[in-house]
Amino acid sequence: MTRDEALRPLARRRGPAVVVTTMGTVRPWAKLSDDALDFASADSAMGHAADFALGLSLAQPHRKVVCLNGDGSMLMSLGTLVTIVASGAANLVLFVLQNDRYELTGNQAIPGAGRLDFPAMARAAGFARVHAFEDAAAYEGALPSILEGPGPVFVSLRVEAGAEGPLGRGPGESAAYLRPSLAESARRLRRALTEAP
Amino acid sequence: MIHAGLVLEELRRQGVTDVLGVPDNASKALLDLLALDPVIRLLTVTREGEAFAIASGLWVGGRAPVVLIQNTGLLESGDAVRGTAMRMRVPLVCLVTVRGHARMAARGLRPTAEDLDADLLSRPDLDSVALLTEPTLRAWGLPWETVATDADLPRLGVAFERAREAERPVAVLITTDTAEP
Repeated sequence: MTRDEALRPLARRRGPAVVVTTMGTVRPWAKLSDDALDFASADSAMGHAADFALGLSLAQPHRKVVCLNGDGSMLMSLGTLVTIVASGAANLVLFVLQNDRYELTGNQAIPGAGRLDFPAMARAAGFARVHAFEDAAAYEGALPSILEGPGPVFVSLRVEAGAEGPLGRGPGESAAYLRPSLAESARRLRRALTEAP
Repeated sequence: MIHAGLVLEELRRQGVTDVLGVPDNASKALLDLLALDPVIRLLTVTREGEAFAIASGLWVGGRAPVVLIQNTGLLESGDAVRGTAMRMRVPLVCLVTVRGHARMAARGLRPTAEDLDADLLSRPDLDSVALLTEPTLRAWGLPWETVATDADLPRLGVAFERAREAERPVAVLITTDTAEP
């Protein structure tokens, strides 16, 4: 599926969920969503979007938290799969968009490209709900049930290779949530989560 | 020796909600108490860098976490500290037990970055991670307090104040084992 086919249905159905993006999903998501509960793990620590999202989900157990992770990023913190399950984060939905590439650095192959089985790794880590999709229509049809019910949920989406460039932050960024600093973005999200009625 | 019960009392006084980290021998007594604590949630992670990212998410979500790791894990955590708690300006206290401190102190050593050479870092009678801890914190721009005995425990409260006032992570170096209350 294309990245748009992966993200657009989610943008329609995310409701009041927090959505954490990183790497190749940061700018494409901003073309579909401009929400106070969107957060770009950009200009931050490589490979730490899923564990940051885990912290959000543990702090906000009554709110769905969605993480749009990349395959290269997931490999940098595979242990987080185990921690997510051990923590009992029932409100976390972890997507891994798999294109077998480090896209932002020029589409170099990730280790194990073509052989890695992320859904099997998620099952082995203890995820009870694991989904894998290559077909966009099947994914869109299953998305409502994926977003409902107890988690944590792991979703692997096989997406086409893209050409997203390096990420930055600042007033010149086209994506609105990349214009503030990471610290300011964190405070805005904190206010949205802790001052919500 | 630091009594774990006194550390726990201070964590409660500071309103800590979550402790994240990887176990080590020096923190065992404190971890034993935390595992039974009805208020503070203890979450063991797979690698120390993960603790900083989860703690940052917890703080953004409205909680008051601390990180509890050994100095070996602190060194492993460099980019995670930099890219999450520092970059997000999270007022996060990180308790760091200092492996190798006793042997280093017994030899009267407290090296700066300029003192660190191959001979010193490979001496078999010293643990190089102790030699590297303070120079690393200084290089990273991560302020710290030091707690060696129960009498030093007010420094823990000072670390929380510094973290909140400056909106940044602050380390607390714990240079002896925690003991039963």
